[in-house]
Amino acid sequence: MKFKGFIRPDGSVGIRNHVLIMANARGASNLALLIARLVHGATVYVQPQEGGRDTADRQTIARTLIGAARNPNVGGVLVVGVKENGGYPEFDAANFVDAIAASGKPVETVFLNSSGGLQHALGEGMRKARALIQKASECEREEVGLGDLSVAVKCGYSDPTSGMSGNPVVGYLFDRIVEAGGTAMFSETTEVIGAEHILAKRFTDEGQRRKFLDAVARVEAQAKATGEDIRKINPIPANIQAGLTTLEEKSLGAIVKSGSMPIQGCVAYGEKPEGRGLYFMDAWMSSSALFLGFAAAGAVLTIFQVGGGRFPEDALMPSAQSGLVAPTLFMTGNPHAYENIHEEVDFTSGTVISEKEPLASAGDRLVREVLRCASGRLVKGEIMGVKEFPEMYLQGPCL
Amino acid sequence: MKSIIVMHEKDNVGNALEDIRKGDDVSYATNGQKQHLVAQDDVPFGFKVALRDIAPDADIVKYKEVIGMASRPIKAGECVHIHNVKGKRGRGDLEEAQA
Repeated sequence: MKFKGFIRPDGSVGIRNHVLIMANARGASNLALLIARLVHGATVYVQPQEGGRDTADRQTIARTLIGAARNPNVGGVLVVGVKENGGYPEFDAANFVDAIAASGKPVETVFLNSSGGLQHALGEGMRKARALIQKASECEREEVGLGDLSVAVKCGYSDPTSGMSGNPVVGYLFDRIVEAGGTAMFSETTEVIGAEHILAKRFTDEGQRRKFLDAVARVEAQAKATGEDIRKINPIPANIQAGLTTLEEKSLGAIVKSGSMPIQGCVAYGEKPEGRGLYFMDAWMSSSALFLGFAAAGAVLTIFQVGGGRFPEDALMPSAQSGLVAPTLFMTGNPHAYENIHEEVDFTSGTVISEKEPLASAGDRLVREVLRCASGRLVKGEIMGVKEFPEMYLQGPCL
Repeated sequence: MKSIIVMHEKDNVGNALEDIRKGDDVSYATNGQKQHLVAQDDVPFGFKVALRDIAPDADIVKYKEVIGMASRPIKAGECVHIHNVKGKRGRGDLEEAQA
């Protein structure tokens, strides 16, 4: 159960080697984009606008940006900004630089006001980005174990196969990772409604169990406050068209992806767990936002387990590597969906239905697929010519 | 003979493992016992079929857990979906009616 990964100065293990160019505030995102265009091999992000957001949402944005930069898949970071400070305190450049530098990885900065304007900042940024990329290119992979991984899963386009042959196979993988001493995360607070009593029993700490149940109650209250039957919102139409009838049914099939290990804690969107083991992230289920939250929490690989019963033939997958620095491996447990979308999907456990393959056998195949990907084999989504800018899970008003 | 899977012996619905047509004989196993029923509806792959008669407002049980309640009488062999099942959780529509 070995793979070859990048051992970072803080001992964490990455499976990719990105150099990330990011702004400390939205107003400098265009500078980050321009610098990224001047070099080869940079990963860049345009973040949500922080202006007019409440403190909790600004903290979420800052935590997510810093977390993504600290992710073990990142071998160097260039932080760009208009100025070092003077905006909202969460976005003071020192907060970013200190937190990233604490992980031991190289971090450089460029500021418009101290470099003498845009044209000078571009030159300085280009020079620093090139140096970071060259330095990162010398990182070498070394042999490490399954327990060095942090992996996170989201299930989506759920259908009745999700709870039968897709999510249970992810649960098997999660059990192996946690047994080996690694970290595994799952999420989607709305989609534990109706199944929270089962998960709650698996929390080892009473305070964390309370936090989890409070999160579920908060989201259900938000759902009721819409005045709608949740079934008009979630399950989404594709779930219902594929045979899922209620949110409770969807939830009961969804939680199986967590496996069977004790749950150590409940973290916020983009919050890194304090320890290793299995964690729940209190977050929005969106494939446009959740994978970035996982990456910010330290996940080096994300899995998108799709039912996909109603996907059209050869469909483009619903999110294009929105983990920013953490690749997304697509899998399905639906044999019919796999026939339709095998060009886009990396792994199928639809064989559990079509060929009566035992879950453990499909699970062992998934462990091997994950190790291959962790050693550097690109997933199909990484080879596509698009990479989207993820959203974030922000909950406050826009004022 | 068409097959369905029943996730737990306490369940009153099973999931079609292939497309089932009205009138098809359907087999399944619970408690190691072979059972069978006759489909009263078309039941597409993945959709649910009632294993026995279910009274209005009675729980629909899958994974030995409650996934909703019958919104009208359901006969054994009928397809079980949004036309005859309502959810119990996240019902903002009911909150408003009570307010």
